Amino acid sequence: MKHPTRTALALAGCVTVLAACSTEDPNASGGGGGADGDVRTGSGVTDDTITVGILTDLSGPFSATASTQAAVMQAYWQQANADGGVCGRTVEVDVQDHGYDPQRAVSLYRSMAPEVAAFQQILGSPINAAVNPLALEDDLYVGGVGWASVSLDFPNVQVPGTTYSVEAANAIDYLVDEQGLAEGDKVGVVYFVGDYGSDSLAGARHAAEDHGLEIVPQEITPRDTDLSAQASALQQEGVSAVILAAAPAQVASLAGVLGAQGTDVPIIGHAPEWTGSLLETPAGPTLLDNFYLVSSSAPYSADVPGAQQAVEGYRAADPDGAESWEVPLAWGEAILLRTALENACEAGDLTPGGIVAGMQETTDLDTDGLFAGTLDYGEPGEPPTRTVYLSRPDDTLPGGMRLETTLEGPNAQSYSFD
Amino acid sequence: MTYFLTQLANGLSYGLILGLIAVGFVIVFTSTGVLNFAHGSVLLTGAYLVAILHDPIGFWPAVVVGILGAALLGVLINAVLVRNLAEPNPGTAAILMLGVDILLLTELTRRIGNRVLPIGAPWGADVIAIGGVTLPTSRAIAAGVAVVVFALLWYLFARTDTGVAMRAAAADGDTASLMGIRLSRTGATGWALAGALAAIAGVLLASFPAPGVAPTLAISAFAAIPAWVLGGFDSVVGAIVGGLIIGVVTALAVGYEAELHVLGRGLGEVVPYAVMIIVLLVRPSGLFGRKEAVRV
Amino acid sequence: MSDLLRRLPAIVGLVVALALPLLFNDFWLQTGLFAMAAVVGAIGLTLLVGVAGQLSLGHAFFAALGAYTYAWTVGEVGDRAAGLGLPAVLGIVLAGVVAAAAGALFSPISGRLRGIYLGLATVGLVFLARHLMVNLEAYTGGFNGRTVEPFSVPGFSFSNSDPDFLAVAGVEFGGLHRLWYLFLVVVLLAAWLGRNVKASRTGRALANVRDSEAAAAAMGIRVARAKATAFVISSAYAGVAGALMALAYGRIAPDLFGLQLSIDFLVMIVLGGLGSIAGAAAGAVFVVTLPLVLAQYSSELPFLATPGSGGLDAATLARLLYGAAILAVLLFLRGGLAGAARRLRHRRPPRDTGEPPPVAAPTAPTATPEPSLSHPSVPTRSKETTP
Repeated sequence: MKHPTRTALALAGCVTVLAACSTEDPNASGGGGGADGDVRTGSGVTDDTITVGILTDLSGPFSATASTQAAVMQAYWQQANADGGVCGRTVEVDVQDHGYDPQRAVSLYRSMAPEVAAFQQILGSPINAAVNPLALEDDLYVGGVGWASVSLDFPNVQVPGTTYSVEAANAIDYLVDEQGLAEGDKVGVVYFVGDYGSDSLAGARHAAEDHGLEIVPQEITPRDTDLSAQASALQQEGVSAVILAAAPAQVASLAGVLGAQGTDVPIIGHAPEWTGSLLETPAGPTLLDNFYLVSSSAPYSADVPGAQQAVEGYRAADPDGAESWEVPLAWGEAILLRTALENACEAGDLTPGGIVAGMQETTDLDTDGLFAGTLDYGEPGEPPTRTVYLSRPDDTLPGGMRLETTLEGPNAQSYSFD
Repeated sequence: MTYFLTQLANGLSYGLILGLIAVGFVIVFTSTGVLNFAHGSVLLTGAYLVAILHDPIGFWPAVVVGILGAALLGVLINAVLVRNLAEPNPGTAAILMLGVDILLLTELTRRIGNRVLPIGAPWGADVIAIGGVTLPTSRAIAAGVAVVVFALLWYLFARTDTGVAMRAAAADGDTASLMGIRLSRTGATGWALAGALAAIAGVLLASFPAPGVAPTLAISAFAAIPAWVLGGFDSVVGAIVGGLIIGVVTALAVGYEAELHVLGRGLGEVVPYAVMIIVLLVRPSGLFGRKEAVRV
Repeated sequence: MSDLLRRLPAIVGLVVALALPLLFNDFWLQTGLFAMAAVVGAIGLTLLVGVAGQLSLGHAFFAALGAYTYAWTVGEVGDRAAGLGLPAVLGIVLAGVVAAAAGALFSPISGRLRGIYLGLATVGLVFLARHLMVNLEAYTGGFNGRTVEPFSVPGFSFSNSDPDFLAVAGVEFGGLHRLWYLFLVVVLLAAWLGRNVKASRTGRALANVRDSEAAAAAMGIRVARAKATAFVISSAYAGVAGALMALAYGRIAPDLFGLQLSIDFLVMIVLGGLGSIAGAAAGAVFVVTLPLVLAQYSSELPFLATPGSGGLDAATLARLLYGAAILAVLLFLRGGLAGAARRLRHRRPPRDTGEPPPVAAPTAPTATPEPSLSHPSVPTRSKETTP
């Protein structure tokens, strides 16, 4: 024995630890969560509060859009609490910033999960990829994730409307029905690789195949803000329309070059790539002529009661807030969670699992036009609707977008999510 | 053929802007030995100044303020931070610049928010078409500006005392110091030059066909790193040639992506680095880097 | 007895590390796992940068390689992304081996370039890695990534099941608790191996190459080979770190292994103090936990604006403080965190006058020669390249 003291210490440690070990679960039969009157409760719910979490990017690359959404959601719950709350309880919002760092997001998720009843929002593709499986394991509701099809793999995630793929399929159907595209024509798809752009491409491909159109894909990254090369390539291919799944900077660049080189074709985009200030860029005139927006949520100035209430509610809380697509969307997402909470309350089960069940019981929700179509979350793995809004730029309206009509084409209906 | 020439013209004009950024990396590196990770935020600072000032004071005065502001920022970073490192060596200096980058980028992101600030350049959204070859007017102007700037740089380094002193300091700092060249002065000049070049590149990058100034503009400086490396780390000429090569290769990879799709999608992002690695395999010190033989 | 006294800090440290899972909640456990994975990668990088004087910004590539190798080796056969269904221990070993092999393939460049030049050349690897991760969908699951099988040995899984319930001293031990000990073992192994590498013939040869390639060559050291060796060792560490990251996440995707990860590794070792194993560990813990701690406490300050209002909000302040912390360490702490700790210790009178002065890190199993502090570990502006 060279180190008698240490050996003794180690031995003692082992014995202590072993004595304390157990593989019998004392709570095995009980299950967590006490009963309060008629309502069973779990994490994040007390007699008079329900805590919901927002795990978002307040300091990273998406801080601008993310903080607007968080502010709108907070405004919604403030108003909802003033009107008496949900299930006899006030709703408290716990906002945490992951700064677009997946490690921080996972750690923060661990700290929030035992304290919240549901996640009002978890934002960012890499963040969702890392955190959503954990939330599924914990049976926690996750909202505010965007429209990527990959979210449908998670029955605990509530997609606010339909997916990018269905939006793009609708866009192609619209091009054929209303813009006179015919068999043999080419459609360019300029997209960010990832759960957003690649999803849009998949939907466009599906519909194009049905109509006998040819897809010309051009993959880009958020770093590409000069799309001259892509625009030349599209012109060379002789495309009759372009679908763009990117960000506002790419819209301005692509539309600007296409317009300047005289490629006068419709450009169809998704909600995240619109901001009213695009109309002030050199691409403004081209956008007014040729841009179309397919989206699941109504644009800021949409003439529908749901969107108007959202705008009024948010303005009341923050008169200087942004005039953008995030306002109706985030307001609507808060309504989606509220509906799930109310369903759970009615069923007498405000545990996290009960709230997820409450979301799946939302089978016929009319949002007064906030989201296109009526929403049915009864079938996990399917989007709640396949209807989308079509909007056009309008520089006289706040937010720069005018709601035109709703679309639900045959290929949007036939798109399959396997 | 006209399609090829169009893509080539796109690539060359973009490559010249990359060259402006890459030359900034070279000058900072040879004059103070710093790998400037904050180059992108200096670029963004210059472009941001132009974007917020072009309305009140006019575009050209705003450009002058932007260039001077970025140059001053560079000089300050060098004087206040780099020269006060506890342990001055390229490793710590590079990490120091990362810290500076975090500070600048966080503040600029907060100021810009989700807006895209127009740069207010007087050249509009036109394209030039010569025999079917099209190029945005702004890019043609950018190429012209870059060529003029490179000519001025050549004059500076070849014909002025300051330039000769900088070259001497870059070649051998200790000897230059013994000859009476003040390294603190050549270092400051280097940072000022790099800042000015970055601001010019920022304005060019933010004008049409790009929409304006957004925080992502800072990342575009990273695209110049392969240009810098493949040109040889310490050669101004190498950086310009490297920029042209990377610009052309990127444009062609994007333009012919359909034909090259066996290599996978999104080639534009990876091709510059692939070219860089291949060049380094053949010539480890880059195309124009000095290769100092070690006799043993 | 004096021997025991001298090692007391190491023993106390180990006991604390063993006991922490009894006290920590899930948040700190998860953070701890990420920190320990980072420690392994940082030790590998400090061997390359601090000891051999080579720089790498490509470690995200090797970490990704390790992570995907683990997920692929251990993954179920016939899952959406392919897998071999091999034992998990083999997965971790292979993660290191495959990363080392990739490092060896890079030796034509890593053996010929030095210092900061190599660092920039390796940036290319990160973008190459991303391209491969997104495009080799059959193995990687593409952009959306793939799930990672939990670590297990026959009869015991390092997850929430098998055994489904396990309690130690009244604390329920779930997957995070169990992984903590696995990670601790790997970290201790990595630190011990790292010390041995530093003290070995190879380590001293590398330090010679760092100080002067010409002199090293004159002494009969094959310079190119030594530099390539350092790169291979370092890559193996990064591969294992990647496998640990995969386990800590439970699901991996290309976005987790961007240039930022490479840069973070570099920040860790420079803040910790180049060449010091304990410094690398301290730097890793600093970089992983500081943003979280800052975010936690800055949100309680009263003068801050609400997020989205455009004023200075808590998250922005936390990020600014993080940047300022990096500047402060570099401007005021010579030798990084490890250097500061060493000076603190030296200020006190030595407890045992008959003993040699305490070594840099408390966990040192053997006294190792200190990396010379005065000598910059990365060559200063030398244009020397070997043909």
